[in-house]
Amino acid sequence: MDVLTVKNLSVSFFRTEGEIEALKNVSFTLREGEILAVMGKTGCGKSVLCKSILKLLPDIAKIKTGHIYIRGEEITGYSEKQMQGLRGRFFSMVFQNPMTALNPCMSVGEQIGEMVRLRRPEFSGRERKKRVAELMELVGLDHAGERARQYPFQLSGGMAQRCVIAIALAAEPAVLFADEATTALDATVQAQILELLLKLRERTGMSIVLVTHNPGVAARTADRVALMRDGELYRIGDVEEIFDESTPN
Amino acid sequence: MTNRHLIKMVNNIGKFLISVLVLSVLVFTLSRLAPGDPLYAYYGERVEKMSVEEQDQARERLGLQAPLFTQYVRWLQRAVHGDFGISYQYKTDVKEVIAAGIVNTLLLGGLGFVLIFALALFLGLFCAWREDRLADRVVCRIGTVTSCIPEFWLSLLLLLIFSVWLDWLPSSGAYAAGGGGSLPDRAAHLVLPLSVVVLGHLWYYAFQVRNRLLEEVRADYVLLARMKGLSGRRVLYRHCLRGALPSYLSMMAIALPHILGGTYVVETVFSYPGIGKLAYESARYQDYNLLMVVSLLTGTLVILCNLTARLVNERIDPRMGVRSVSAGGEVRRL
Repeated sequence: MDVLTVKNLSVSFFRTEGEIEALKNVSFTLREGEILAVMGKTGCGKSVLCKSILKLLPDIAKIKTGHIYIRGEEITGYSEKQMQGLRGRFFSMVFQNPMTALNPCMSVGEQIGEMVRLRRPEFSGRERKKRVAELMELVGLDHAGERARQYPFQLSGGMAQRCVIAIALAAEPAVLFADEATTALDATVQAQILELLLKLRERTGMSIVLVTHNPGVAARTADRVALMRDGELYRIGDVEEIFDESTPN
Repeated sequence: MTNRHLIKMVNNIGKFLISVLVLSVLVFTLSRLAPGDPLYAYYGERVEKMSVEEQDQARERLGLQAPLFTQYVRWLQRAVHGDFGISYQYKTDVKEVIAAGIVNTLLLGGLGFVLIFALALFLGLFCAWREDRLADRVVCRIGTVTSCIPEFWLSLLLLLIFSVWLDWLPSSGAYAAGGGGSLPDRAAHLVLPLSVVVLGHLWYYAFQVRNRLLEEVRADYVLLARMKGLSGRRVLYRHCLRGALPSYLSMMAIALPHILGGTYVVETVFSYPGIGKLAYESARYQDYNLLMVVSLLTGTLVILCNLTARLVNERIDPRMGVRSVSAGGEVRRL
């Protein structure tokens, strides 16, 4: 069964100047365990797509038409409370800039631990600590005990992104959105993070929506690719199929 | 580790002492440069009947004839030993005059400060949580109006309503005349001045909290916190408040002397016998010794508050303890 289905999704921002159509009739499906790359230029609606599925858009944005299903169940009309139950359980997300995504006033151990506590309320303090250390090791952060006490400003960009990924993993999600997760990082670290995402997919079997404007990233990592332009998803297909032809973009 | 703490402590104490010393020099010089005759404070109207020789003798006795520098050194030598001289106006030891007022001021200002601190945080959180909805708008409007009312006018208004018309509360003093000042009596005398102190300052700080929080709410990390499945309110309490708290604490630490000072007007209107009234009188009548002690007390309070604010902030936001040294250890300069 498809883990996520989006049908004819249209989203608009209502500003005082008027309506701005951010998504126009977008449809796609995400299969169990696959990596779908969503590609397109800056401002074409990639991030809005992720955030509208998660209902993390600002108040001025409205879903005009369309349906969102997870494993066959429609969640389009879910209330904020119901969405809170999905975020950090079914869905998780990795953001573009790890340095600003982490709370600067909390140690990274605390931030990962918070997610563990929400996902696994039954854990004792010690179990939680152990889980945090496991997660940190899983994403390739060495000296977990010491590292957990550090604050975001003491980490490099790559290390901070590993922490964000550790938080995302603590949610044990079925679908992970990676919104330009490697854009703010330099090429070597970028490759390491992509490698890590692939490895984690193998281990956990989660599906990943990889938002990127970099064709190289998409070609190396994704199973399928969706192309977006001006709020429209105009093409979707297997990675070979998309990259074999010369695309108009 | 302990060595570093020791150096830091010595450093802080050194800075504190130097600041107090500089402050004393400034107040000493400025008060004597200001126009006016301290003999008036001491002798009152009688000065006008004194001959020039008598006036010079009186100045000599009070030690006001010597050059400014000598006067200061003399004052400092005595002050180090705890002798701050006599108040010209009250003709007794300055310390006694201060001691009589300090309890009252601490009660009024201190209680006011605690109330403002707690209520502003509560109101700010509430408004930030209900941002731009009806409750937020109503509170914002009411707050702006009350904070715009001058304190003396508000004092008079409350006096008129609660003391004159309704006769519920006493209109002046810190306790009933002749009474020893029982707790209910003191509390009844505190209600009106305290309300004015709180109402006059509350909204300014609550608004600061609200806006600081809303800045935090728009930060990127909030998205990650919401992604974790936290509710909006918990994101506000657990994440945003922590980011907003350092600036609130340092603001409130600096506000402590300001709020205590804000009781000056209130103390005058309610004839409340406190430091504020003394500060005002000592500056007006050139009561040098009293003015020095009141200024130094306030100044010490400001410096101590700033120091506390910094130390507290370093504990809450670890970035502040690093002092422009980056992770690599090199010093970054602007």
